[in-house]
Amino acid sequence: MNVRRRSHRARSIGRLAHVHTSGNLEEQTPRTLLKNILLTAPESSVMMPESVVKPVPTPQVVQSSRRESSRGSLELQLPELEPPTTLALGLLAPGRRKQRQRLSVFQQGMDQGLPLSQEPRGNGSASSLTSSLNLTFATPLQPQSAQRPGLARRPPTRRAVDVGAFLQDLRDTSLALASPGDSLRTPVATLPTDTVLEDTQPFSQPLIGRSPSVYHSLPCLSHTEAEDAKRAVSHRTQSSGPRLQNHNPGKPTQLLAGKAKKVDALAVSFPNNSSAVSGEDGVEPLQDGVGEEAEERMEESLSVSKVVATTGTQGSVRMEKSKGHREMTEAAEAKEPEGSSGASLELASSTTEFLQARRPQFLEPAPPPSAAVLSSEPLEPLSTRLPPRARTPGPRPRQDPHKTGLSHYVKLFSFYAKMPMEKAALEMVEKCLDKYFQHLCDDLEVFAAHAGRKTVRPEDLELLMRRQGLVNDQVSLHVLVERHLPLEYRQLLIPCAFSGNSVFPAQ
Amino acid sequence: MAFSTTVSQRKHIKRKAPRGFLKRVFKRQKPHLRLETSGDLLVHLNCLLFVRRLAEESRMNAFESKCGVIKKEHVQAAAKVILKKSRG
Repeated sequence: MNVRRRSHRARSIGRLAHVHTSGNLEEQTPRTLLKNILLTAPESSVMMPESVVKPVPTPQVVQSSRRESSRGSLELQLPELEPPTTLALGLLAPGRRKQRQRLSVFQQGMDQGLPLSQEPRGNGSASSLTSSLNLTFATPLQPQSAQRPGLARRPPTRRAVDVGAFLQDLRDTSLALASPGDSLRTPVATLPTDTVLEDTQPFSQPLIGRSPSVYHSLPCLSHTEAEDAKRAVSHRTQSSGPRLQNHNPGKPTQLLAGKAKKVDALAVSFPNNSSAVSGEDGVEPLQDGVGEEAEERMEESLSVSKVVATTGTQGSVRMEKSKGHREMTEAAEAKEPEGSSGASLELASSTTEFLQARRPQFLEPAPPPSAAVLSSEPLEPLSTRLPPRARTPGPRPRQDPHKTGLSHYVKLFSFYAKMPMEKAALEMVEKCLDKYFQHLCDDLEVFAAHAGRKTVRPEDLELLMRRQGLVNDQVSLHVLVERHLPLEYRQLLIPCAFSGNSVFPAQ
Repeated sequence: MAFSTTVSQRKHIKRKAPRGFLKRVFKRQKPHLRLETSGDLLVHLNCLLFVRRLAEESRMNAFESKCGVIKKEHVQAAAKVILKKSRG
């Protein structure tokens, strides 16, 4: 009797709820039920107490959940599903009394327009998802749970948390990666280098580990970092130092603005090198990397610092600060092993800090001690950076649009590769793409000429892909289009019949 | 979208085709030829498949050399193979 009542109710509800199923209301498999629930029910987070969830046998739920898990898009909803379904089973197990109550509740739910509403007993949270699940599983669950109680398995409820935590981690890492850069750089100068930063290091774990420490190191060590940066960089460019001192102090602002970009590139190179190089090598590899990447820029920034130094030395008050800085820098320098990894961050953050006009008081005292320190050492490469930068405005505009277009495919490459990549490898990919485009255009020209045309048509493209082996008798072009292109493009490419005896795109 | 992977990384790959860029490249290479509008998209599809094959080949190369990072040599070796394949 219970079974009949339940089945009747479930069926009636099923008719209401499962509007999406075409016919076949008799066989409500878990698969179809779940599918309909997911389609109809709003998303809601379901937090079920473990005690209710565990002891209930759920062989069927496990099966259905497994089936559902095969569908990628519904994956995230699974952990929410499983507790409610087990809860439903738990509720179905007890006797008549509770069924009557559920019936009344169900009728209320019917009035309210909810397809299934069943207040779970002893549970405060009755989301529509839960209630919908409770009822839909009424019929099929009972026979199975009666037959095989021993096959009960604990549903992996942990999954919801994992996904949430994982997403949270993603946000954190993206935030942590984005925010230090944002906080450090001026908005104008950051735009090109932000993309560069994300481009070159999509997967570097060291960078992720480092980014929080950037935060911490930044506020306390800002002044020392500037000097560290200069000192580190100074080893590289020795010869240009004295030359730079002749720069008139008239263009510090330009240099600073230009420096911001350089330092950002520098910051980019730092994570690159730091990830590639083990930490215990100290500042040296960083310097090497820096020197390789942006030697000129070092010089420019050095000239700036020199310029500012000359202006700053006139302020005697700052000498005190500079002394303090010098001590701190020396102390920081003494901490070589930890400074190697910290130095990378410090350098990155410090150079950017140094460049920004935000902290002029640090800027000025920083150069004088650095000048004093560096006078013994070869040079401040930073100041030498800027003049070469100003010299080359010409060739850039021609290269940039081409490169930005290619960068789209380069990003796709790094995405498909799923592995961290070196910057040289990415440049290699760009070269390959260039060659590929040349080959492509040549082939298309040949095919069009063969057909006696001067316009390249999609048939030529299809022939090309056939010759490449991408399209064959098993796999047609339309299949490839469907697989790899988004819907909008698919509509444009594959002719589809519409109402009114029309086909779009017209053939 | 169809079949393609869910981007679970922080970098969201845009699915748009750089149609202007492709048209420009074609024009620059072959100014005497014309490219149709839907041909543009098929070129993009071709590029996608090429990049995918290249990436997988370089990934395999990196695995074979037991490297956790894709290096220039891997990409170079992969490019030789894949460019030869996609010559048509």
